[in-house]
This record gives sequence, C-alpha cells and structure tokens, in this order.
Amino acid sequence: MSDTKTSLDSVVSIVYITPENAVFEEKNHFLTLQLTTTKEDGTSETANYDRVFLHRSFPYDHPEAYISVQDGDKNEIGMIAEIGQFPDSTASLLRGELARKYYSPVITAIHSVKDRYGYAYLHVATDSGEMDITLRDASRSMARVDERRVIITDIDGNRYDIPDITKLDRKSFRRIELYL
Amino acid sequence: MESRQSLTARLASWDKSISEADVLLPIPFHLSEEITTETSPPVDGIAALLKDRFVIYKAGSCTESIPLAEIESFAFRQGIGCVFAECTMKNGEHRLLCRADMHYKDLYAAALKEMSRYAAGEDIRYAYEADVNRFCPKCGRPYRPGSSICDHCAAKKDYLKRLWRLAKPYHKHIYASVLLYFVLAGVNLLPPVINRILVDDYIQAVDKPILWQFTLVILSLFGVNLISRLLSMLRSFTLIDAGNGIAIRLRELVFEKIQLLSVSKVAKRTSGELMNRVSNDTSTVQHFLTHDLGNMIEQIVTLLAVGVILFVYDWKLALLILLPVPIVMYMHRLFWGNTHRRYHRQWSLESKANTILHDIFSGIRVVKAFGTEKREEARFDHAVARVRDTSISNERFWAMLFPWLGFLMGIGEFFLLYYVGDRILDGTMTLGEMSQFSAYVSIIYGPLRWMANIPRTLARTMTSIVKIYDVVDEEEDVSDKKDATDLDIRGNITFENVSFGYDNTTNVLKNIDLTVRPGEMLGIVGKSGVGKSTLINLVMRLYDVDEGTIRIDGVDIRDISQTSLRSQIGVVLQETFLFAGTVYDNIAYAKPSATREEVIMAAKVAGAHPFIMKMPDAYNTKVGEKGYTLSGGERQRIAIARALLHNPRILILDEATASLDTETEKQIQDALQKLIADRTTLAIAHRLSTLRNATRILVLDKGQVAEIGSHEELMKKQGIYYGLVMAQRQMSKMSPKNTEEAE
Repeated sequence: MSDTKTSLDSVVSIVYITPENAVFEEKNHFLTLQLTTTKEDGTSETANYDRVFLHRSFPYDHPEAYISVQDGDKNEIGMIAEIGQFPDSTASLLRGELARKYYSPVITAIHSVKDRYGYAYLHVATDSGEMDITLRDASRSMARVDERRVIITDIDGNRYDIPDITKLDRKSFRRIELYL
Repeated sequence: MESRQSLTARLASWDKSISEADVLLPIPFHLSEEITTETSPPVDGIAALLKDRFVIYKAGSCTESIPLAEIESFAFRQGIGCVFAECTMKNGEHRLLCRADMHYKDLYAAALKEMSRYAAGEDIRYAYEADVNRFCPKCGRPYRPGSSICDHCAAKKDYLKRLWRLAKPYHKHIYASVLLYFVLAGVNLLPPVINRILVDDYIQAVDKPILWQFTLVILSLFGVNLISRLLSMLRSFTLIDAGNGIAIRLRELVFEKIQLLSVSKVAKRTSGELMNRVSNDTSTVQHFLTHDLGNMIEQIVTLLAVGVILFVYDWKLALLILLPVPIVMYMHRLFWGNTHRRYHRQWSLESKANTILHDIFSGIRVVKAFGTEKREEARFDHAVARVRDTSISNERFWAMLFPWLGFLMGIGEFFLLYYVGDRILDGTMTLGEMSQFSAYVSIIYGPLRWMANIPRTLARTMTSIVKIYDVVDEEEDVSDKKDATDLDIRGNITFENVSFGYDNTTNVLKNIDLTVRPGEMLGIVGKSGVGKSTLINLVMRLYDVDEGTIRIDGVDIRDISQTSLRSQIGVVLQETFLFAGTVYDNIAYAKPSATREEVIMAAKVAGAHPFIMKMPDAYNTKVGEKGYTLSGGERQRIAIARALLHNPRILILDEATASLDTETEKQIQDALQKLIADRTTLAIAHRLSTLRNATRILVLDKGQVAEIGSHEELMKKQGIYYGLVMAQRQMSKMSPKNTEEAE
C-alpha cells in the first residue's frame, strides 16, 4: 500500500491548509483566507482571498476531515486535513461556516406521517422547532446513508438529518420504518 | 409562501418611513446569515429592493441599508439545504445579504435575477411569480412538479366523472354487469332456501315424500347452481371487456400526451415514473374495473340482502351473529398493520440481497480482476442471513397468530349454535331453518372480512387515477401556435440575444448573437458543460428560449410548425440510440418510405456499409436491447446514415464521429463534405481535427460567444481556440499513433 501512495504522490499532491500557513478571518459575513505557500525555489508567496467557501469531502462519515477550501468560482485552493488541527477560535469559525452552508435540521421525533397520492406529509420535531415536511415518493426521499443514519430530502431539496435511527422513540421509528 | 403584496405590507408596517409604493421586490428569510456554531432560532426577516436602496429587516428593525448606487449586481448562491442572496458592490466587494431554506430556492433565483436587471437600469418583471408560487391557494400544499393540480384538493368526483366519460363506449357493458350482479346475488340466496325445504319437507318429513317432488327439489338445486355459474361467467366476460377497453384507452391517452410534451417536461419525470404512469397505474385502474369494482358491488348487494333476510327472520339471532364482527374487524386492522410491516421488512431485505447479487454478477469482471470474491461472498451471506432471520420470525408470528384469528372469527358460530340449538330443542325452529341460517351466516362473513380492504383498494385506485390525469392534464409548453406555418428551410439560422437556462437558477446560455448562413458548416467548440449541446437543442426547439429569438430564414422558430421544422433537421447525437429492430429499420427510421437502394447509399456515405455487410444477416441484423451488440463507432455510423437518409436542410452533428478512429472519421468527413455543400451544418466536436472542413468555428465559454471566425482567423488571434489547438497538437506529439480511441 505504501508503494501506491508514493507512486500517486509523484504525480499529484494535496495542498494542505494548516494553522502554520493559513489565517482564516470573518469579514462581511464571509470567510477570508490568507495563505502562504512555499514555492519550489524556497521563496514564499502570500495570497489573499476575500471570500472562500468550504466543501466537505465526506459529509456523512467524516464531516470535519478533508474540507476543501474553494474560491468564489468553486476552484479548490487547498484542503484542511482536520478542523481539529486549528486553534479553537479558528476551528469554531470554520465549523460555523460549515453549519451555515450545510443546513439540515436534526429530526428528534416524528409526530405523524400521512401518505397521499404519492406524497407523504410529515409533521416532525427538529432542533430548530416543529416542522411540516412534504416528500415526493417517501421511500425515495428517505436515504439510509449508513446502518443508522437517515437523510430525508423534501420536495424542495431541504435536508433533514436523523443521525441515529435506533435512538428515535419507538413510535417515531414505526411511522417511517416502512419507507426505509 | 407569503405573497409579495403581504411582504410589502408587513415591511411598510415595520418602518413607517417606507411607503408600499417604494418597495419593488421583497424576499423573506428566516435563517441567520451569521457564521455561528450555535443553532439559532428562526428569524422573521424581510430583505427588499427599494427604488433607491436595498434594505434588510429582522423582526421589525432595520439591520442593513445599502444605497443602490453602490451595488453592481445581485447573485444567488446555493448552499447544501439552503440558499444565499449576495451582491457585488461597485468597488468589487461582495456582501452576503440573507439566507433561507430550499423552499425559497426558485423565488431567490428569480428575484435576484430581476434585482440585477433593475441595478443595470432595466424594469422589474414579475412574470416569474407564476412559476415560483407552485402552491395550492386552498391548502398551501405544493403542486405535483410541473402540474397545476393540487392532489389534495382535486375533487375525486371530477376524476371519476372524467373516467366515466372516457368509458362511454362501455357504458352498456357496465350497466349490464351491474344488473347481472344483482341477479347473481339474488340467485345465490336461493340454495339455502331450497336446502331448508329439502331438510324440513322431505328428509325430516313425517309422511313418506312424493318421489317426483323430491327429485324436482334436487333438480332445482342443481339448476340454481348451474345458473349461478353461467351468470358469473357472463358477468366476468362483460366486465373484462369493459375493464380492458377502458384501460387501453387510458394507456393510449397517457402515451399520446407524453409524446406531445416537450423534452423539458418529460425530463422532469424519470423514465421509470413515466413507465409507471403508462403501465402500472393504468393496470391498477384496470384491475379495479375488472375485479375490485365487481366484487365490491357483489359483496355489498349480498351483505344487504342477507342482512335484511336475517333481521326480518329473527333480529335477535341476527344481532348475535353480528356481535363478533366489530371485534374481528378491529383485530384485522390491528394485525394488518403489524403483518404489513413485517412482510415489508422481509421484502425489502430480500430485494437488498437481490441487488447485491445483481451487482456482483454485473461487475463479475471487476470482482475477478481484483480478486475480491471472498469479500463479495461475505457481503451476500450477511444479506441472506438477515433475510433468513426475518423470514423465520415472520413465519413464527403467523403460525402463532393465524389459529387464534380463525378461532375468534368462529366465535359467532358458537353463539349461533347455542341459540339455534336451544330453539330447536324448544321446537320453535326446524333443522332446515338452521341449515339455511348457517348458510347465510357463512355468506355474510365473506363480505364483512372483505370490507376491511375496501378503503385501501379505493385509495390505491384513486391515487393511480389522479396520477394518470396529472400527466394527461399537463400543459404543453413547447406547443405549436395556432397559425404556425410550414416552412421550406433554406438554412439561415440567426440567434438574437438568446438566453436560456434549464431551470431559473442558472443561465446556460447568455446573450448569444449569431448568424449561420445557408451552406455553412459551423464548428462549435468549448469545454464540457459550456452550453454546446444546449445551443443545438434550442435550434431543434426541444426547449423554448427564455429571452431573445432564434430565427430560421428570418422566421421565429416558434412560428414554424414543429413537424415541419424537425422534418428538415437531421441529427446525430452524442449518445446514439438504436431502437430494437433491424439495422434497416434503424436507418430508415425517419423516412420509412425510403427505398432499399437509398438506405444502402446512406449507409455507404456514413461508412456503415462495410461493417454491416460483414454481419451474417447484414441489413436484417437485429440490433437494440436484445439484438446484436454493436460498438460505439458502428452505432454512430448507423445514426449518421439515419440522419442523411432524412435529407435534412440543417444537419446537426453532436460529437457524431467521436467514437470513430481518425481514419474512418476522415473517410466519412470527405463523403459528408460533398453532401453538406448546400446545407447548413452545426457540428460539435472535442477533437478539433473533426472540424477541419468547418467554414467557421464558434468558441463558447461560460455560456457566451467567446470567439468566432475561420480556423486561420482564430489561430491568428491566439485566444482560447489557439490554446485548444496547441494543447491537442501537444497531445498528438506525445503519442505518435494518436487518437486511436478504442471502439
């Protein structure tokens, strides 16, 4: 396996954005980045980005690892290997930016499910309050991303997260079990 | 969704200095735009474009006010599960304005586009509102995508009326079968009566019965049975005729409609969904008409008739019989949910195991190549083990439940036995009467058990009917105008300030101005996703432009009848599709009247003739789904032959020769060159050598015309095209036997 790594290494490389080479700040509600890179000849160069966007590589199983940092045109500037590497203040800024971009209320209970003419109407409790959700084709709208986690996508494209289906109360679980 | 008027009024009530007339375009928001890890409660916010500034209000107070003079443009950005409104200032700075959930996606995209127009000095158009407000005004639920019927509020009555009207040719059948049901129900009530007579008057008779009378009774029993069978046969025949006839009409109706719809409407639904509408939903209706409806009438008639007889005869006895019914129905309901859940779980696990199997078999080469057989085996074993466990648990559940259900159902008969036995001993009831009674009891229990299923059957059928009419009622967006003309195309194509997007969030093509002269070959190049295929889709009018006009020979293509337009355009697409049928059928697809000679000639020009003649069945070789497997290059050549046979005035080639080796490509090109002399050709290609014969080259970049001119002009310009040519030359140097793409 280590052979593979070195061989791929010689062709491509990941530009890592680390606490050593990067400064993230907030300006005008955007995340700014000052990135210092060392060129082959040893000189260093500093680039300033007035807004950068974060994109998760593994949104479900590793939401804080391999975060792509992109410019306004979605070109990748580099990657953050792990948000935890950064000091707390920066890390919470990054987490805040991710939380803002990835909006998915966490469902804590399912009060009712009505299925009618191919649509399902759910009344649920979430961490952002009670909500009514409309799904087109309930079975297709509820995706099991792993053994326990379920992501529900509504008719408009909103996402709702059930991080651990086994932790839902029995009644809630039964209401959606048939669609899973 | 809150209306613009209501938002405007609310904003004006928050800030008395704003008059409603000042508010041009308000948008609501309820998510915080701050960067924070805290879960913030919903905000009640309104952001609005006023005549001279952009303002943001949160819960009644102003948080931001930006003079319009400082704003360059507005932009829409999509997050994951949310959308953002942004603006770019004249000094180049970006500002984040507000954020909302995906519910508002279409509104934000359209409204911000209009705001940008206003910032650029144009007027705001509110036409987008019709598209954005896809909600039923009555109940607020969303419409089915692409339709304007609210499933919830749609009157079932109307759909049934329409179905009834559709069934007009079969009305006689239906009346006849309903009548037959009544007769049949009546006939079925007779045998118990005859049985009673048999027992009381003959078997138990004190005097020796008269033989011929006895024989007559037996014969009448026989006759009634025979008539009942004959009638039910007749009834089935009538219903089957009507049900199938109606289902076929429905199927034709849906299919015709789908054919009429534009590509954009059809693309909104998956092909699986459309297949469902045409086959499954119509089958559900058919099954309902041929089986369920008849059953329903029969059971209800029987139930009523027997019920009346029982009550008239002895109301106490009838009550006793009916006593356990609610209990049984309740139990049925209770267990049905549980059983359904259990079997659904088993079914879903089984289908999961099957999927794994299917996956492994289709990818068997990969599995073998990477030597992962053991791992796949384990994966399958695990899935099968889960099916086994669930199945065992389900069977045990049934084995435990079923006898008890039967026992409970039978309780009524114990009551009956007790009561009747008592009366027989009293002498107030005869043995014959008892047999008649128990026969009616068993007749009445059938419908009762069955009644529990009626709501589900009705709901399922209604769902199918609504879904079918949803497609049937779909509005045709790309439709012929009433005065659409047939045009003899010469081949002049003009784009006037054309903009187009598949949805309203992004414009794939922006302000395209372009003229292609008759006989010209225009090469179209550019990166993937830059709008090349979209451009030709618009020429074929698979979609209508959002802004601007496309003219052919000076006539707006929306004024040309679609049949006339498309019959004069020949297309070879990137993905060549061959229908199930012979090679000949596929080439002659667009011109079934073509002679065999013409077909062969077309195949020759397309370079398809040599490989066709190498196949054992030549032009009669079956291709498509279950037929002979052709390589990508062979399919393309057949598609080219198909387009040429059509003898089009405008020829569109979308990567038409991409799967061919360079040599074959050149041969075809040279042949084409002679053919295309007097027709307009639009050709998309990544491999620039394909375009060597092009009169001019159009370079698209980010949906706009970046460069246009002849090969020499563009090379001199040293722009994007130059870069592409140089890059491809570099590539061919790297591999001397260049571009030998595998077939």
